[in-house]
Amino acid sequence: MKMIRNSVLRVEGMTKRYGQKEVLKNASLTVNEGELKILIGPSGGGKSTLLQCINFLVTPDAGRVWLKGEEIIRTHKRALYAYRQKVGMIFQDFNLFDHLTALNNVTIGLVRVRGMHKQEALDKAVYELERVGLKDHIYKYPAQLSGGQKQRVSIARALAMDPEVMLIDEPTSALDPELISEVLAVIENLRANGMTMVMSTHHMGFAREVADEIVFLEDGCILETGTPDKIFLRAECERTRAFCSKILELYGNA
Amino acid sequence: MEELFFIQHDVIPALWRGLLVSIRLIVPSAICGLIIGVFIGVSRVFGGTVIKTCANIYVALFRGFPLVVQLFIWYFGLPHIGIYMSPFLASVFGFSLCSGAYHSEYVRGALLSIKQGQLLAARSLGFSKMKMIISVVLPQAFRRALPGCGNEIIYLIKYSSLAYMITCIELTGEGKIIASETFKYTEIFFIVGIVYLLLTSVASWLLHRIENNLRLPGFDHYAL
Repeated sequence: MKMIRNSVLRVEGMTKRYGQKEVLKNASLTVNEGELKILIGPSGGGKSTLLQCINFLVTPDAGRVWLKGEEIIRTHKRALYAYRQKVGMIFQDFNLFDHLTALNNVTIGLVRVRGMHKQEALDKAVYELERVGLKDHIYKYPAQLSGGQKQRVSIARALAMDPEVMLIDEPTSALDPELISEVLAVIENLRANGMTMVMSTHHMGFAREVADEIVFLEDGCILETGTPDKIFLRAECERTRAFCSKILELYGNA
Repeated sequence: MEELFFIQHDVIPALWRGLLVSIRLIVPSAICGLIIGVFIGVSRVFGGTVIKTCANIYVALFRGFPLVVQLFIWYFGLPHIGIYMSPFLASVFGFSLCSGAYHSEYVRGALLSIKQGQLLAARSLGFSKMKMIISVVLPQAFRRALPGCGNEIIYLIKYSSLAYMITCIELTGEGKIIASETFKYTEIFFIVGIVYLLLTSVASWLLHRIENNLRLPGFDHYAL
């Protein structure tokens, strides 16, 4: 029997223009609890913009967002900051704070934003870093970590805030194959633990294996949405088929 | 013998007196200047339109007016509108404001060098703009601005000699008085110059130590 899942995040009519160019056209999306939704599509198709519009790092021209049924009023600063704490974000190029150790990269949000006691924050940070397998690197600075380790620190940093949903923007694009697998393993583990996630990636093998639903985005439009099997084997849209066949040609049937 | 006696009994006490005044001018001016510089620098990068414009005007004025002219305005000009400052206070005031304008430029450059992605990351964690600037941007920017700001402090040590133009008798002022009494301009000003050299050497040594203490992996100087 299929469980009826509650929607965690609902996005409606997201639109963003840069000058004349419309980079996001009326994109809508609902993410249910524990679901992993993967955005695929060509570079420049609007994946990053959509993710950054969801937590208003990019100000959309139109569009509404609900978290657990509650609409986010962007102009209400306090509500916006509170909302962002509940939405973890992972970036393509990690974006760790260069002047802080791995440990303090994780504690800073807890202490400065959530007002947590220092010792409590340290304990939580150590726990989160252990969870992503970085027990031995907590006192290192970003400059002393590998790309994969940096990305895992950034995941720990987001997890420490106890997010309701994670937005993950091409987490492996800046990494070599070995490092990719260590980051993907962490994400798979999150999924197994029921974390709700929206992730953009070019890693089709991973998308096909673990996604609950795949969203194909091109020129700022959501062209097609469906289960991995549907998108990869029986896509309705011509463009989706062309994109996926190119990808399968490149990477085989993985 | 007579020379030595003269140096011991006239030159050294006078210059020592002057040196103490100089130090009393330099230290608060350096500190206030740096604080003003950070505020103005942050306003110029992160401020709204109004704040940004005001900060830009401030920098244009205080970098554009010659420092002597600024000091004359504070000391000789303000009494006309009923504001009186002692020569010492007017000097510290003038130096701080001028120094702040220069510091702000170094701070601004350093702020702009912080990668945009880190600001996104901070905002995505729920940081307000102010908290982001204080906890994420400034600690990094300060490290990058330090060499430039140190340079400005070295300049300050030397332009503190302008205080004697508004009758705040510091090192150069004392030197000028003895020199014109004795006509030993070369000797006296040579000594005065050496004292400034010592001051700037101590300051640059101190600044280096601060830089080293604040050094972090990823913020090293690239050795070629």
